[in-house]
Amino acid sequence: MPQMNSVYRHREFGAPLTTLADYERAGGYLGLGDALALTPDDALYAFHRSGLRGRGGAGFPMGRKASFLPKDTGRPTYIVCNADESEPGTFKDREIIERNPFQLIEGLTIAAHAVGCERAYIYIRGEYEAQAKVLDAALAEARDAGRLGPDALGDGRPFDITLYRGAGAYICGEETALLESLEGKRGQPRLKPPFPAVAGLYGCPTLINNVETLASLPPIMHRGPDWYSAMGPEKSPGTKIFSVSGHVLRPGNYEVVLGETTLRELIFTMAGGLRPGRHVKAVWPGGSSVPVIGEGSLDVPLDYESLNGVGTFLGSGGCIVMDDSECIVRACHRLAQFYRHESCGKCTPCREGTGWLARILGRMVAGEGRGAEDIRMLESLFGRISGRTLCALADGAVMPVQSALELFPEEFAHVAEHGSPAPAPMMGEPVG
Amino acid sequence: MTAHEIEEYLAPMRHEFADPRSLILPALKFAQGDSGWLPTEDMAAVAEATGFSQAYVESIATFYDRLYVEPVGRRVINVCVTLSCMLRGSDEIFDHLADYLGLDGEGTTDDGMFTLAKVQCIGACDRAPCLQIDSGEQIGPLEPADATCLVDDLREQPAPARYER
Repeated sequence: MPQMNSVYRHREFGAPLTTLADYERAGGYLGLGDALALTPDDALYAFHRSGLRGRGGAGFPMGRKASFLPKDTGRPTYIVCNADESEPGTFKDREIIERNPFQLIEGLTIAAHAVGCERAYIYIRGEYEAQAKVLDAALAEARDAGRLGPDALGDGRPFDITLYRGAGAYICGEETALLESLEGKRGQPRLKPPFPAVAGLYGCPTLINNVETLASLPPIMHRGPDWYSAMGPEKSPGTKIFSVSGHVLRPGNYEVVLGETTLRELIFTMAGGLRPGRHVKAVWPGGSSVPVIGEGSLDVPLDYESLNGVGTFLGSGGCIVMDDSECIVRACHRLAQFYRHESCGKCTPCREGTGWLARILGRMVAGEGRGAEDIRMLESLFGRISGRTLCALADGAVMPVQSALELFPEEFAHVAEHGSPAPAPMMGEPVG
Repeated sequence: MTAHEIEEYLAPMRHEFADPRSLILPALKFAQGDSGWLPTEDMAAVAEATGFSQAYVESIATFYDRLYVEPVGRRVINVCVTLSCMLRGSDEIFDHLADYLGLDGEGTTDDGMFTLAKVQCIGACDRAPCLQIDSGEQIGPLEPADATCLVDDLREQPAPARYER
């Protein structure tokens, strides 16, 4: 199936939409007009009816999340946009911010109308400083044009957005860690409940959504929730951006209607396939924190339920593709090093467990493994880490390794005995 | 960097936050812009400007990868080594750069010009293997020769007026 550029309006338009004039020429801010014509409750109901699910990774229904916010608490209601895009293999939000920043700003404004919010925050990762500058300029332009400020929502209702820069910490993409960081604390996850909808930023009701989720709202409001919910499967309708990387010839972002494209089409038709003679060995379809799947699962349709059906998750849509030139244990070791580095250290099973995963996989790869003993130790570790921590980072560290061990037991056994020298990487290939 | 300079920087944004604690991170990033890292005196200035203890400010500074509490080079070369970049040759890029800079792995060159660092995913896997100079644009896909050209170009450039790490 072809691509469907709804969030990526700039692709439909054929050029980056980094000025307000261009964005409006491309149909920008029509969605806000339609939203403001509705009561806040009706706008909220439209989110719900669209079937839009959170695009950051968890996939929770957006409208339901927004409906959890208590009303008339006498305290401010905040919206926080999670632009901390740090999941390995994920770079979809970067393109929204770089080339279509006003759609995010419009989406936030629509959400502000629905939940009654006067100030939103965009928390952007420190490594996206170049992208933050694009947003700075867009926010200033929106303010100058009155799209943000004292009358942004009409009838004298104010709304503004603060851009807040992180400073390098994967964990700050976890929503409660993000709130801690935004509150000027170390970015360590909170115990839930209470959930951010009830006690979020500064203890106030807070709606937290990913960049792509919020940027989905303008077309939903303009073309109607029924248009959106009619696309794709009933339980997970709409479009989703997949970031494809690794051993493919055309790495990049591809926005498709959920359920209409298979993983095989994404990899081979859109992302250009592999080098001649190579086969798909392993795919992490939803960022590095999801279970890995093999060549046998390539015909799975890309939607939440179908991917669950083959034992993995849609996650963030960061699809990492590995061909048969690379060793699965080396790949797992590299990911384990990532999670060890990024564990915030608050929960013991994660702080210690991610270290052990990295150590054991490291010695296996280096040829210093202890054979079957190391495999047994890995297997015993999984259950001591998973499900025993405040946030999902630890589960994300375990799932790719556990699934890889199930999928490639012989290779793990071999590497545990003999090590795994690095193969020649894929370099200097043309990138389309 | 004085507490007064930091206060002046924070003044226009104070009203945006219900709790002044939120100002610590912007203040640290601003202070780091001066010398490219955070000497103890700068963290003390941030503490004074924001009204929190120096120990607390230091606990924040040490949490984040891109806040440096030890001196680093004039430019920090951040080579992404996470999975997507590894599959496309990030280790070769890193080794080549270390070799070219005369470093044994991560570290700072003797002339204080460059710090070479392995970093986790910088969100540019479509440009793998990629790197980032300080917090600049993500650059890639690279071949080893591109990486060394980049270093040569940087060597010719004056120190940035303000560091953006």
